[in-house]
Amino acid sequence: MNDTSASTVPPTAPTRTVAFEKRLKKRYAAERRFKMMGLGAVVFSIVVLVFLLVTMTINGLGGFQRAELSVPVDLSQAALSIDEPVTNADEAISSLQRQGLPEVVQYSASEALGDEAADQLASDAWRVVADEIVADPSLVDESRTYWLPASEDLATALTGSGQTNLQPLARELTANGALADRFDPGFLTRSDATDPQMVGIWAALKGSILTMIVTLALAFPIGVLAALYLEEYAPRNRWTDLIEVSINNLAAVPSIIFGLLGLAVFLGLFPNLRSAPVIGGMTLALMTMPVIVISGRNAIKAVPPSIRDGALAIGASPVQVVFQHVLPLALPGILTGTIIGMARALGETAPLLLIGMRAFVATPPEGFTDNATVLPMQIFLWSDEIDRGFVERTSAAIIVLLAFLLLMNGLAIYLRNRFEKSW
Amino acid sequence: MSPAISLLIALGLGLAGWLVARRRAYRFLQESQTGRIAALPNYHGWYAALWIAVPMVLFLLVWEAVSGQFVLAHALASPEARALPDSGLLRDRMISEAYNLASGASTTAYSNEARALAEPFREAMLRYDLIGLAIAVIIAGAGAAWAFLRLRPEAKVRTRVERIVLLGLLLASLVAILTTLGIFVTLVFETFRFFGMISPIDFLFGAQWNPDPMSNAANPDPNRYGAIPLFWGTLFIGAIIAMIVAIPFGLMSAIYLTQYARPRLRRWVKPALEILAGVPTVVYGYFAALTVAPAIRDLALSMGVDNPSSESALAAGLVMGIMIIPFVSSMADDSIAAVPQSMRDGSLAVGATTNETIRRVLVPAALPGIVAGVMLAVSRAIGETMIVVMAASTAANLTGNPLEAMTTVTVQIVALLTGEGSFDHPATLAAFALGFVLFLVTLALNFIALRVVRRFREAYE
Repeated sequence: MNDTSASTVPPTAPTRTVAFEKRLKKRYAAERRFKMMGLGAVVFSIVVLVFLLVTMTINGLGGFQRAELSVPVDLSQAALSIDEPVTNADEAISSLQRQGLPEVVQYSASEALGDEAADQLASDAWRVVADEIVADPSLVDESRTYWLPASEDLATALTGSGQTNLQPLARELTANGALADRFDPGFLTRSDATDPQMVGIWAALKGSILTMIVTLALAFPIGVLAALYLEEYAPRNRWTDLIEVSINNLAAVPSIIFGLLGLAVFLGLFPNLRSAPVIGGMTLALMTMPVIVISGRNAIKAVPPSIRDGALAIGASPVQVVFQHVLPLALPGILTGTIIGMARALGETAPLLLIGMRAFVATPPEGFTDNATVLPMQIFLWSDEIDRGFVERTSAAIIVLLAFLLLMNGLAIYLRNRFEKSW
Repeated sequence: MSPAISLLIALGLGLAGWLVARRRAYRFLQESQTGRIAALPNYHGWYAALWIAVPMVLFLLVWEAVSGQFVLAHALASPEARALPDSGLLRDRMISEAYNLASGASTTAYSNEARALAEPFREAMLRYDLIGLAIAVIIAGAGAAWAFLRLRPEAKVRTRVERIVLLGLLLASLVAILTTLGIFVTLVFETFRFFGMISPIDFLFGAQWNPDPMSNAANPDPNRYGAIPLFWGTLFIGAIIAMIVAIPFGLMSAIYLTQYARPRLRRWVKPALEILAGVPTVVYGYFAALTVAPAIRDLALSMGVDNPSSESALAAGLVMGIMIIPFVSSMADDSIAAVPQSMRDGSLAVGATTNETIRRVLVPAALPGIVAGVMLAVSRAIGETMIVVMAASTAANLTGNPLEAMTTVTVQIVALLTGEGSFDHPATLAAFALGFVLFLVTLALNFIALRVVRRFREAYE
């Protein structure tokens, strides 16, 4: 019975003195503070990311638009002719220029909008009309309203800044419905220009694609073969250690050092190929190769030894084992690593800056040896322009670049999920 | 002739050899009494294809590199070349104009001499292209003859093909060594040329950086090549400001995500942080130059700082720090996860709160890994180029004020090599010397970090 009296212990243990309670409270407060700091750090990173993406998107959406003037042009009176069939678009356009199309467009604009507004047509505005005529020659007999790019000054005035004397004109034209910011699909199909109203990213995009093809064609086979050698055949000795150490080091060398190598070696060997996609691709391939080797080795390591033993047991040679059994099974993993490496190469600028891919390129490169620029480089070049219009264009180019990177990373994640195997 | 066409010809011949040799192997198979030959028909095909295509491609590569010299010599021997000036820049420019005209790289030339010279150039190119192609085809034919003489039913071609494949694998892995060696040799070579003009002492310990690419190359002023302000700027932006941002935020993110966050949150936040790491640096640079730098200048103005610079070290460093956060976070994540669960459980069991466990047990145990991660992050920050090129300035400045303009090693490399200077000028060669220093420092940091990680990991295994 004495035992039951023990149940009348006080609700708090005797050790829980006032000082203890205070200390405990303090410790719990510290715990909460610490947790909040951790959450704060995560939130900060996410907020910065969101802020970065949102500013770029808001700025960049404007970059896909341009200020355009609505100009009714009666081409039937201009008596233009266009040779049928149109064999060469460039020739057709210059023929239209000789026949006085620019003057016709300029005249129509001053008739419809007044001289002051007509002066604010972009100098190449007639090319928009010419392009449409080339696409559809029957237009030469028709009267139509075209939306033509306004000059950079008027475009700035439309936003409420820039030259004060143009702002009333911009307001008046907007009220008449003759001036508006319109979606500009040509941003994706035109090339670099000096006027932000006339620029596009096609040349840079094509340069990027050509450069990536060279990078992939060099880095992928070399990377995969090196990974196979190191993982499947290499004896453990000083040589393979040396190879391993240099691959790991290369993966951590700053990218600008690869630019120095490309400049000294590749441009030393082929001085005529300055700023060509071949040289850019070769330089980026050296940078991407270690990434592919490292991810490739992990993928190869993940293939269980039983596969190799099974193949060897039925009489396959070591080379057959590797190329017919191990490589196909490891390929999804290798591809994931390759796409990630390529995404990094696509966003890289510094090494290309050193090998001279910073030229003004107004015509898209035709082949691997033509002068070219790449998308990140175009962003860099535009960011140096002082014209206000280039800010929006730069952000728009950034959106395109980020969209490509997201696409590539998405593909890598899809591949990983689709083919991930656990043996 | 474009290299692509020559390559296609080589591949086409190889394919033809492959098909013919394979058919022959099938005939061997039919004729043999046992119904077996020493190697599968495919291997006969590969054996022939390799013997045809590989020597031809190797020759074409060599020819591509050397034929330019022949073409030049041939064109300069022509009567049109006598109209050129005897030496100097003008002559070089005319020659390159004529070359571009002849190869179709450009359609116009400024000088009449270049236009006249284009014709001999074109003729020489055609001539040496044809010579090259002829030799290449002869080599391919010789390879084919060699291979087909050796293809017999009892020939063990599989082992031969496999030996070549293994050789190919070995060569592929040697590319890494060659690249490393290439980087090293180039940097050392150019750096020594630079040190021939400017003493290493002046370079490494001078406090004035102001190279002039237009000055007389033969007699450079050593007082303009002191790199201390650059090293300081690099250190200040990359290792101090960026790390002040990256270490606390990266570490705390890792701790929160591994110790506190629910798996659902973790599943969303980790990929988001990875996006932060995948944004191209040129985008960060643009962000720093367009948004962050003006904001910092406005803030400094409102706090009463006189005349703050629009290109501050702070802007570049802050954005660089943000770029590095996910890197530090994932390294810390790995090393905290490597601490055995029993240590955490033990600490919690004796009554420590989670925060005390993390600070007194987990972080100290994971410290070597975290330190290694920070070293890798520093190595990355000091090698980072685009952010500083776009947001930091080119003016060397030895100061501790983060609001002032500062320059870094990478900014100077870009500035010196994208200028107009010639390759014999110390101002251009200085870029290679800076690159060499950068290479050595990042290499040392990476090496030490990897060592630390390796030693640390062994402690728990």
